[in-house]
Amino acid sequence: AALVELRRAAGEVAAQEFLSTPLLLANGESPVNGSDRRSGGEGGSRRVVALSPPPPVGIPWRSRATAMALHATSSRDSVRAAAEGEPEWAGDASRRPAAFYSAVFAQIEEVGWERLVSGKGDGGVSCLVFRILDDQGRNHLLEITLPMNYPSSPPCLVADVPYLPELQWSKGSRLKDVVCQFQEHLKILQDYWSIMDDIDKVLWVVDPTKPTFAMSHRRIALGDDCYLLLHVNVRKPRSLPEVRFLGTDGKLDRLITNWRKYCKKWSADKKFHENLSTVLDFALPPPPSVNIEDDEQVDCGICYAKHLPIDDELGTHSGGTTDYTCENPSCSRAFHSVCLRDWLRAITTTRQSFDVLFGNCPYCSDPVAVKITDR
Amino acid sequence: MTSSSSPSRKALSKIACNRLQKELAEWQVSPPSGFKYRVSDNLQRWVIEVTGAAGTLYAGETYQLQVDFPEHYPMEAPQVIFLNPAPMHPHIYSNGHICLDILYDSWSPAMTVSSVCISILSMLSSSPAKQRPQDNDRYVRNCRNGRSPKETRWWFHDDKV
Repeated sequence: AALVELRRAAGEVAAQEFLSTPLLLANGESPVNGSDRRSGGEGGSRRVVALSPPPPVGIPWRSRATAMALHATSSRDSVRAAAEGEPEWAGDASRRPAAFYSAVFAQIEEVGWERLVSGKGDGGVSCLVFRILDDQGRNHLLEITLPMNYPSSPPCLVADVPYLPELQWSKGSRLKDVVCQFQEHLKILQDYWSIMDDIDKVLWVVDPTKPTFAMSHRRIALGDDCYLLLHVNVRKPRSLPEVRFLGTDGKLDRLITNWRKYCKKWSADKKFHENLSTVLDFALPPPPSVNIEDDEQVDCGICYAKHLPIDDELGTHSGGTTDYTCENPSCSRAFHSVCLRDWLRAITTTRQSFDVLFGNCPYCSDPVAVKITDR
Repeated sequence: MTSSSSPSRKALSKIACNRLQKELAEWQVSPPSGFKYRVSDNLQRWVIEVTGAAGTLYAGETYQLQVDFPEHYPMEAPQVIFLNPAPMHPHIYSNGHICLDILYDSWSPAMTVSSVCISILSMLSSSPAKQRPQDNDRYVRNCRNGRSPKETRWWFHDDKV
């Protein structure tokens, strides 16, 4: 009976040891639970040291030194515990069996410790995030959540992709299989992403300004306040997309008519933007010269735009950026003073003193004040 | 039907047009649960299908919301009504007019079509009984000439439903 208990304690110590190591190797910093370590008997201590994964090649020297230090500390703790002659093991049973942890660590090793970005939950292995590089050098984070009855049940995946692959899973499957299937999925998506990159490069995309890998929509400026809201079919990216026309009616009528008349001219062999020009019978404007300043501008909380429209009625504010910020530090919402003034004028609770309007922030209700006139 | 009444609408201002395009793009990327935008090229009028939430009196039932935007949206609230048939609810009149403060006095440009829809679904979900408002007949009679619910002086008294 004592021998059985000793073996169980050794297993738990091994699992506990493994809990610390991947976080260290992945993040290059000392884990929080590093000091929370238990040591087994003499036999257990030998096994612990032997089972620790070796530092992978290419790890920065600082991290390697830390890893070495961790091993040294572990050895010293084991020696001290052995010297005391009183082995120590966990009083309460863990929710998962010890075999689960050793199995998962073996599987992480198959994938490669250098790919592990983070682990959290249930001792750091319930939710694993791996870094996967695709053929074009795009970085993807694949989050794998292991259910309580893993591997009988398949893990759950989260990733910044337009759709997830259907996971082929059996009780004998391993994390390596998940990563391989995700990599195959990324290969399938390469064509779709190259098309989206082409659209972002060639056309005047006004929204989203910083698209994620999952976003399949683009709002494209056609000039004269007309826009095309485009949805690319993520599974058949070269097929005819779903489009919506937004803007003033006069000019749009011709484009809508052309779209309906010429949509059969769409060809899977031609470039996406060439197809658009052909079907619309319209020369699509190129993107405006890159304005780095715009990336730093914030959207107005009322009109949802960085810049006011170019309009004579707005006078000196025509095309202007946000120039008022709510003073509540928790809010700090930005507004065009023109928009804020129009809003305050529209409601009955606004108070006026000389040439200043006093009211409340639409978002946090803290006081705001804005001048009536430009001067 | 009075529920299909449409106010005399001016064309959207540039600011309203731009904001609605962004709201629409955001909607199509992540629509609120239980709602489906009826596709149309009319940016000024949205027709949205509402499905009652599971576990409520309206589970599985589908209604249609009509949202009309004024020239100076979002400085002014949109007009939101249920198209016929309107759900039986203590704060929804048979002509589709909705007694909900954020559609009138409590409107704020911080709100969006999406947040308004969620509030309406919440109001439906909180309903204790499928019944009309007490003053339904009188109110509907007064609105027979196509009057907009925004012209009504509402008295909001119920914080639970």
